[in-house]
Amino acid sequence: MSTTDGPTLIPDDASAQEIADREAKMRQRKGWFPGLSDKWNALPRQTQWLILIVVVVLAYLLPILNPPLITTEPGNNWQIALAQMSVYALVAVGLNVVVGYAGLLDLGYVAFFALGSYTAAMFTSPDSPYVHIPYLWTLPLAMAVAMFFGVVLGVPTLRLRGDYLAIVTLGFGEIVRILATIIPAMKGQVGFQNVGHPPGTDSSGQTIFQNSNGTPWYWLTLTIIIVVLLAAGNLERSRVGRAWIAIREDEDAAEIMGVPTFKYKVWAFAIGASVGGLSGALFAGQVGFVNNQKFDIATSILFVAAVVMGGTGNKVGAILGGALVAYIPLRFTAIAEFKYLIFGAALVIIMIFRPGGLLPARQSLLAYGRLAYNKLKGAVGDIPPSGKVVLEPGKGADK
Amino acid sequence: MTLLELKNVSVHYGRIQAISDMSFSVEEGEIVSLIGANGAGKTTTMRTISGLLAPSAGSITFAGQDITRMKAHIRVVQGISQAPEGRGIFPGMTVEENLDMGSYGRKDRTKVAEDLERVFDLFPRLKERIKQFGGTMSGGEQQMLAIGRALMSNPKLLLLDEPSMGLAPQFIRQIFKIVTEINNQGTTVLLVEQNANQALARAHRAFVLETGSITHRGTGKELLANPAVKEAYLGVG
Repeated sequence: MSTTDGPTLIPDDASAQEIADREAKMRQRKGWFPGLSDKWNALPRQTQWLILIVVVVLAYLLPILNPPLITTEPGNNWQIALAQMSVYALVAVGLNVVVGYAGLLDLGYVAFFALGSYTAAMFTSPDSPYVHIPYLWTLPLAMAVAMFFGVVLGVPTLRLRGDYLAIVTLGFGEIVRILATIIPAMKGQVGFQNVGHPPGTDSSGQTIFQNSNGTPWYWLTLTIIIVVLLAAGNLERSRVGRAWIAIREDEDAAEIMGVPTFKYKVWAFAIGASVGGLSGALFAGQVGFVNNQKFDIATSILFVAAVVMGGTGNKVGAILGGALVAYIPLRFTAIAEFKYLIFGAALVIIMIFRPGGLLPARQSLLAYGRLAYNKLKGAVGDIPPSGKVVLEPGKGADK
Repeated sequence: MTLLELKNVSVHYGRIQAISDMSFSVEEGEIVSLIGANGAGKTTTMRTISGLLAPSAGSITFAGQDITRMKAHIRVVQGISQAPEGRGIFPGMTVEENLDMGSYGRKDRTKVAEDLERVFDLFPRLKERIKQFGGTMSGGEQQMLAIGRALMSNPKLLLLDEPSMGLAPQFIRQIFKIVTEINNQGTTVLLVEQNANQALARAHRAFVLETGSITHRGTGKELLANPAVKEAYLGVG
């Protein structure tokens, strides 16, 4: 974006071709599989759904299939590994709303995860002196608590930008962990044991949701991920999603387009926080034990790494990144001790070769593109590629 | 009728005063130019009018309403639209997505489609480039997009911050021609420029800014003929 290059007034065929080539090259550079997202978007709707259904069914079958080579066994129980991977994936989906969509670098996301975990623990564990409620009720409660604190943190801090915001959120992440250590009611390192679980017994009278059996937890979390994904997808294509993208690209410009930037930044924070709280509650239920040791800064950084690795702004990428971050140390136990070294190196390598992450985010913007076109023109139908656009006269775009 | 009025406006960045006690007004239907050197406070003035900066003293009135404390995104709905300095287009969005963002605050969708046609009439180039990413366009095209996007909110007052910055001379003339065309269609224009020649020739009235204060004022022609302005800004003397 040089500010000195004047345009050629009449584009000849050669320069038009050059631009088309440049864009095609840009698209290619983004993928291990060139043009994957373009191919995906070119598929008919039914085919997309069919592929999605197959992928989802395969995902549900993973704990039963226990595919060789991929499996974490021996060493780590595959079902429990899956449950943890799914929790991390959910965390990444939530954090992606904050970091990916709205472009707000939140380095203290673990705080919301911790809030969710503690909510689940303190309302279900026999170690807790407080009122006890069924575990499933703690899921919405954890979301509400985390969301509340998301707004409390967001309202004063979201007036800051960039690095300043990152530092404040980093501090918030530590505050929650330290409070858990010094407030007696939160039991510091002793923590809460026997955190609750969803009800239900199988035919032999055994509890279904046991801490030692990851499968039901994995299925529960996977189902929640799908619901959250559908919601996130809708948000992405809504006015809110467009506002977030605009804020990420240029906050001042977004404001003078009429976007209430502060309000939408708080929304991004609150929604991200609630998903963080939800995943924390699921984590607490699956592990069955909560204390202050699991919510350190390194975990927070790991969450951000998951989003960046997967592809900032791409919800499918976030799932991939979150699952990978949990999977790698479980699969390669020999190197698990060096996991931060490995993630650091992996991030550097990914940033060099795939700066957009494993699955870059342009897909989601394309979805918005179609919407923008329909909204602007009130015309439905396929749009010819750039350069050969035939526009119908405005036909009234009311909805 | 007075559309915009600044009364004794001062703006500070921390302790540093960027604008001191500035007063001027823009009448409906005019093109008004603010010219001045680097650091004179031109962009600060623009950002204060659009609401990105808050004045430390003074008041701003728009269409008879006090907007001094109004948030920037509400001023857009009220009819103030800005093509910011350095164009401020969204690089990762296509031309159509950028234009769509321009109409973000509007609910009258049929009118939006009409305004899109108007923008495409003014800038046929944008129509050709509709699927191209903002960030991959040339400087001139980005400037067209920035102005077109600002027009998508159907503003009463269009703020243009250095539309000629970094453009080829032939293109600067074209941009200024389009600015006049926009004005003829009924939009009031407030223009900030270093390119004093074109800015004064096109303006009904103009102000010269020096270190945060207005030092000369008059019609565009008067200032073009003013020896002091000539020497300082027009490169003759």
